[in-house]
Amino acid sequence: MLELTSITKRFPNGTLALKGVDLTVEPRTVHGIVGANGAGKSTLFKIVAGALDPTTGEIRWKGEPVDWSSPAAPLAAGISTIYQHIPLVPTLSVLENVFLNDYRGLFARGRLLKRYREVIDRVQYDLDPDLRVSELSIGQRQMVAIMHALAHGAELVIMDEPTASLAQAERELVFDTVRRLRDRDDVTFIYCSHFLDEVLSLTDTITVLRDGLVVADEPTAQLTEDRLVDAMVGKNLASLESLRQHEGREDALPLLEVQGLDSPGRISDVSFTVHGGEIVGLAGLLGSGRSEILHAIFGSDRAARGRVVLQGRELGRSARAAVRSGIALVPEERMRQGLVPDWEIWRNTSLPDLTALLSAHVVPSRAKEVERAERAIRDLRIVARSVDAPVSSLSGGNAQKVVFAKWLYGDPAIFLLDEPTVGVDVETKVEILELIRRFAREGKGAIVVSSEFEEILAVAHRVLVISRGRIVAERRAIETSEEELLALASGLGAKEDVA
Amino acid sequence: MSAATPTRAPGFRARFGAVNTEAFRLHNAGVVYALFVLVITLVISTAVTGRPPYLSAINTANVLDQTTQVGILAVFMTIVLISGNFDLSIGATGALAAGVTLMTLNHAPVWVAVLAGLGIGTLVGLVNGLLVQIVGINAFIVTLGALTAVRGVLLILTNGESIVTSKTGLNSLVDGPAPLNLRWASVAVGIVVVAVGLYMITRTRDLQRPFDLGAAGAVLAGLALVIVGFAAFPTHWPLTKQVWVLFAVTLVSWLVLSYTAVGRRLYAVGGNTEAARLSGIDIARYKTVPFVLNGFAAAVVGILYAGRFEAINPNALSGIELTVLAAAILGGTSLFGGSGSVVKTVVGALILFVLANGFNILNLGANYQPLIQGVVIVGAAAIYVVAGRRASSQKIRSVETHDVPSSPDEIERPSVGAPTR
Repeated sequence: MLELTSITKRFPNGTLALKGVDLTVEPRTVHGIVGANGAGKSTLFKIVAGALDPTTGEIRWKGEPVDWSSPAAPLAAGISTIYQHIPLVPTLSVLENVFLNDYRGLFARGRLLKRYREVIDRVQYDLDPDLRVSELSIGQRQMVAIMHALAHGAELVIMDEPTASLAQAERELVFDTVRRLRDRDDVTFIYCSHFLDEVLSLTDTITVLRDGLVVADEPTAQLTEDRLVDAMVGKNLASLESLRQHEGREDALPLLEVQGLDSPGRISDVSFTVHGGEIVGLAGLLGSGRSEILHAIFGSDRAARGRVVLQGRELGRSARAAVRSGIALVPEERMRQGLVPDWEIWRNTSLPDLTALLSAHVVPSRAKEVERAERAIRDLRIVARSVDAPVSSLSGGNAQKVVFAKWLYGDPAIFLLDEPTVGVDVETKVEILELIRRFAREGKGAIVVSSEFEEILAVAHRVLVISRGRIVAERRAIETSEEELLALASGLGAKEDVA
Repeated sequence: MSAATPTRAPGFRARFGAVNTEAFRLHNAGVVYALFVLVITLVISTAVTGRPPYLSAINTANVLDQTTQVGILAVFMTIVLISGNFDLSIGATGALAAGVTLMTLNHAPVWVAVLAGLGIGTLVGLVNGLLVQIVGINAFIVTLGALTAVRGVLLILTNGESIVTSKTGLNSLVDGPAPLNLRWASVAVGIVVVAVGLYMITRTRDLQRPFDLGAAGAVLAGLALVIVGFAAFPTHWPLTKQVWVLFAVTLVSWLVLSYTAVGRRLYAVGGNTEAARLSGIDIARYKTVPFVLNGFAAAVVGILYAGRFEAINPNALSGIELTVLAAAILGGTSLFGGSGSVVKTVVGALILFVLANGFNILNLGANYQPLIQGVVIVGAAAIYVVAGRRASSQKIRSVETHDVPSSPDEIERPSVGAPTR
């Protein structure tokens, strides 16, 4: 049906996202694709969907080589992609969304309704065509996206993380629909998910990607959870492993106590303690609520309820109060949440701690600010033209170091680190992990969120596994393994140890 | 200590640029060049056609006086725009403040009337700010509503009729001549500028920072000001008191925005609200206060207006908000927040009024004026967008070719303690 041969993709900034991927999708199957963050899944889907051009390699669709230069071409050929954040128009009705981009001339409601009935028959799921999409649940939106694909004559539907935020019943609905369409309607699916239990139960074939390469490609029946996890994890960052630290810190005083933190629809009943000099890892998959826990602690989630006690004092529920009491947050999306992109390094690094850099109480001292930025460039080995370089011109790793530098010199008590090494090269990654360890040696605390579990194991003393907004397990880093964490976070066999 | 080192370069970002040619680039200083070209054109045309010299003391003072109301409003509009918001209600608010001031004046002393006017303007601003920030309604909608509703309040208060006062206290307070001895003033300012420029040059050398072209420019400009001022400037420049209000407002806002923590945080909030919030900045305050200031400024302009004419008709100051926005846009203020300079905004306002004044002086049909103004505004925006895009792509390119020293800066201090890529 779809054949990819030695697809590579090199981005303009030099990143090699795909290093020669071969993939064959058989007709009338559900083909699962799994891989850790950064394995190249999204890039692969974008290439198939025509949103990106491959650097080298060949795509064959129904045996014919194709050259798709725009997303319209694969759509016309019968390939439809449903992205994670489904691009429906929330202000339009279900009917209008299903036939979006399909009004020939006038919006002929009667004719479209007839076609809508046909689509409903195919998916066996009835939905009022006049409801507005904004009124639908996430699962219903998924169904609308599937119907949209079918209405446009899709023979291959690519689903990228379709169930990241679905409730159990809605998942079953989507799965049943996928199976029915495969069996009765000759539709082929490519299905990508972080939840390995889902992939194992739904798919016929599974391809595992790791670091831009296919490391396994087998019928699902021959695969086990363990083999899948092994293939995904690999042992590619041995350098991190060697840094793994083992000293426990259980005697230290509680630094941060989180009690009964709850935020509707995001996290529920999260309680834990971080001790002085301790690094706690939050291991969870995308959408598990791990970042949301950090934002709830930091007070930037206004809906969150619960107690956060830092060094014996209960915190007010605002980011401002958190910063003042000594909590630092390195957010996940550094350009959107961590930096003012147009600003120079020195103006970014002084932002949270401006009051300490004033002369005459109101005027920020440029000399002190520049000095601090220069110190950060030295301390963190930031590669930049000068402190005057705008942060938008820095590479990912260097921009991330600037975000760290914002907090480094204000002497915070605890660091909340959300994916601190995402999009950062290996060398910088090691440096950042060493920096986090330094915080702990200085008696500070740190909470590290990462979807790369080997990284959590390399840096954390204790690991809390997060799944669907809850802490589902607690492990000491030396007593667990990446495989176990991945299994727990993927919802496999996690029932015995609920923290 | 070091931060209070003003240069004559108007750009906010530019003042802090690395090798300071940045300040003179088109996307930063374009509005200044535009004013320059416009004035030169008018000087030449008036000379060629045998009219009175364009840069006469009377005419320049006249243009400044005409610019005052829009200029003051534009300074505060720039602050609102920097914070990432928008305010359409200023014309109506100013008129209401003027009305309230005059009505109070007929029954009370001047200072009570002025306070009443300022109070009502500030109140409108506060309501706008709270509706936008606390309730969360879009600023455009809130202030569009306020524009209409506030004008309605004025109509109710005045019963649709003009308010006149016979008391002269307000007029003598806010209007009347306040001439400047421009010759000696320019010599004094020039000396200060030269001193500051020299100080900056020695400082940048002490700090081993790249040579600051802006500082050098300041020295030269200061010298030029001393010489030209002494040789050619009049001793009697017939400014009005109102112009001094514009000067004061501009100077104070510029200092606060550029050199204080408050200003820095305001730019941060407008530039990236989320990052500012996660850095512990009180977003609500920095989004609300600009509205309050803007209401206050509208009241100030309303009172200046009422003081000058000693009367106000209920439709006064209608539509001024659009001229004010035009001035801010000409000055390169971003409508998306995070960047803008009050000095450049005032230059933008000057362009609009120099243009109008030029049409009058050259006796070109006033009918052509709106067309030209419209073209100038869109043209300015186009220049900012295109020049800005080119500048940022150059920036990226110079970063990509990182291992080739692309600036003196890099030759001085190659790769700060880290391996080059």
